[in-house]
Amino acid sequence: MAGFRFIDAFKPFLAILPEVELPYENMAFDDKIVYTLISALIYIFGQFPLAGISKDSKVKDPLYFLRSSFAAEPFTLMEFGIFPPVAVALFFQLLAGMKIIKVNFKVRQDRELFQSAIKVVSILQYAVLANIFIFSGYYGENLSAHAIYLLNMQLVGAGFVATMLIEVIDKGYGFGSGAMAISTIAVATNLVADIFGVSQIAINTTEGINEAQGALINLIQGFTSKHKTFLGGIINAFQRDYLPNLTTVCLVLIIAAIVGYLQNYRSELPIRSTRARGMNNVYPIRLLYTGGLSILFSYSILFYLHITMFAVIQLVAGNDSQHTISKILGGYKTVNGLHYVPNFPLSLFAPPRSLIDGITRQPLSFITFTLFMVITGVWFASFWQEISGSSARDLGLQFKEQGITLIGHREQSVAKELSKVIPVAATSGAAVLALLVSAGELMGLKGAAAGIVVGLTSAFALLELITMEFQQSGGQSALAQALLGGGGF
Amino acid sequence: MAKNNNNNNNQIEKLAEAPLEFVKDGSTFISKCNKPNQKEFLQIVRAVGIGFLAVGVIGYTIKLIHIPIRYLIV
Repeated sequence: MAGFRFIDAFKPFLAILPEVELPYENMAFDDKIVYTLISALIYIFGQFPLAGISKDSKVKDPLYFLRSSFAAEPFTLMEFGIFPPVAVALFFQLLAGMKIIKVNFKVRQDRELFQSAIKVVSILQYAVLANIFIFSGYYGENLSAHAIYLLNMQLVGAGFVATMLIEVIDKGYGFGSGAMAISTIAVATNLVADIFGVSQIAINTTEGINEAQGALINLIQGFTSKHKTFLGGIINAFQRDYLPNLTTVCLVLIIAAIVGYLQNYRSELPIRSTRARGMNNVYPIRLLYTGGLSILFSYSILFYLHITMFAVIQLVAGNDSQHTISKILGGYKTVNGLHYVPNFPLSLFAPPRSLIDGITRQPLSFITFTLFMVITGVWFASFWQEISGSSARDLGLQFKEQGITLIGHREQSVAKELSKVIPVAATSGAAVLALLVSAGELMGLKGAAAGIVVGLTSAFALLELITMEFQQSGGQSALAQALLGGGGF
Repeated sequence: MAKNNNNNNNQIEKLAEAPLEFVKDGSTFISKCNKPNQKEFLQIVRAVGIGFLAVGVIGYTIKLIHIPIRYLIV
């Protein structure tokens, strides 16, 4: 191989970068469940409040609508969530698929180098993101050198731990990919917190008014609280803006139901065994062939776009509306003392805070945001299904190995026949998901729509892997027996 | 030159047709898909719903542990 390859630049890191060893033998079913769950729970536990920050900074959160897809919690160690490892892995694999990064996946050393490259770049990205936030004044203006150092240690260290947690699951100790497990748990946790969250959050510190985080709990509390009338309490529970309200919760649940419904859309190809007679069956090709990855991809692009714009507008122009940069790019408006809402033209690529806000403030976003989601999602799906190892060609080979063929087609034309179905399935699935997410986001879910779609598609993928493994292990599971009283799934 | 122009025109036409074709292909595929029946759907919703809720409750309990710790360190 002539010339210098991009991944070779990461050779020196192989020696110093800690790495999770591959498991010596196949993990038992129960162990895998425990590993998956505990790793994800450690991540949740890692959403620990940052030390050494002041919360009353003028600079607010510019990424609020991207957070729930990447399990990122503001002002915690997981400020950037799993965004760097997820985005870097996605983009690197795309680049490798385009042959821009040259990797020979058949060689073990190359695979290792590629993985280390992803790890190094993600940790670097944690550092860059952390410093953009620190120097923008998000954690308080005029931080001392000591505080900056401390914040760097916390954010980059937490990012490093998150990367390792993902690696533990990825390397075969758990089910599926680490990002999937973590986003499932984080989305589930947030959903429960949004509905049943009991923690009281101060709304009005001067009058000492607290409200529950959970929308349902808030409704119940509204009946008895002193600062609201009976009717006012009910209205407030449905439309408060500062914390989760029942309207958004209902919308999220509706989207969840639609995802569950779409998940089972499938085109069933009739197959038969070439070895035994009369063994007819169907092979399902899912509509959501690439799952929630297309949404993650679109959101990764959005994340990069918005963090770059934030860096330019805040660091260079100081979010001063008189500055030329702010005039060209849009600048931010502070809302509720919590969020930075982008102005036109940056708002074209950001969902509005609420439906009414969207109509009055950024009507063009309805078109641009939807178009952006659909185009990036479809492009990603059409490309990904080819490079991800489940393309028509790969599947054709798999069919051949297992002695399966499509009914009514010769064995040689199986791959060709599959290639008529799979790309269409992948792209239309991505388009449908993109439309669903945009519809939800444009109603003002502030990222919850994308979050639930990503979380649920990951949950479905995990569930499928788990049931498959469970059946293969022949139900040898003490956990399942304890939980289900010996009954199967 | 003329040929080139023609080619360009063709390409533009193709570009304009691509989304239409995509929508057509996609909608035929979707209409041909097997849709889950009600029983199947309810079963899935129940399985994933319970799983999701259980995991969420565990996660939220862990988050609740944060609250006293926050008071301790801040």
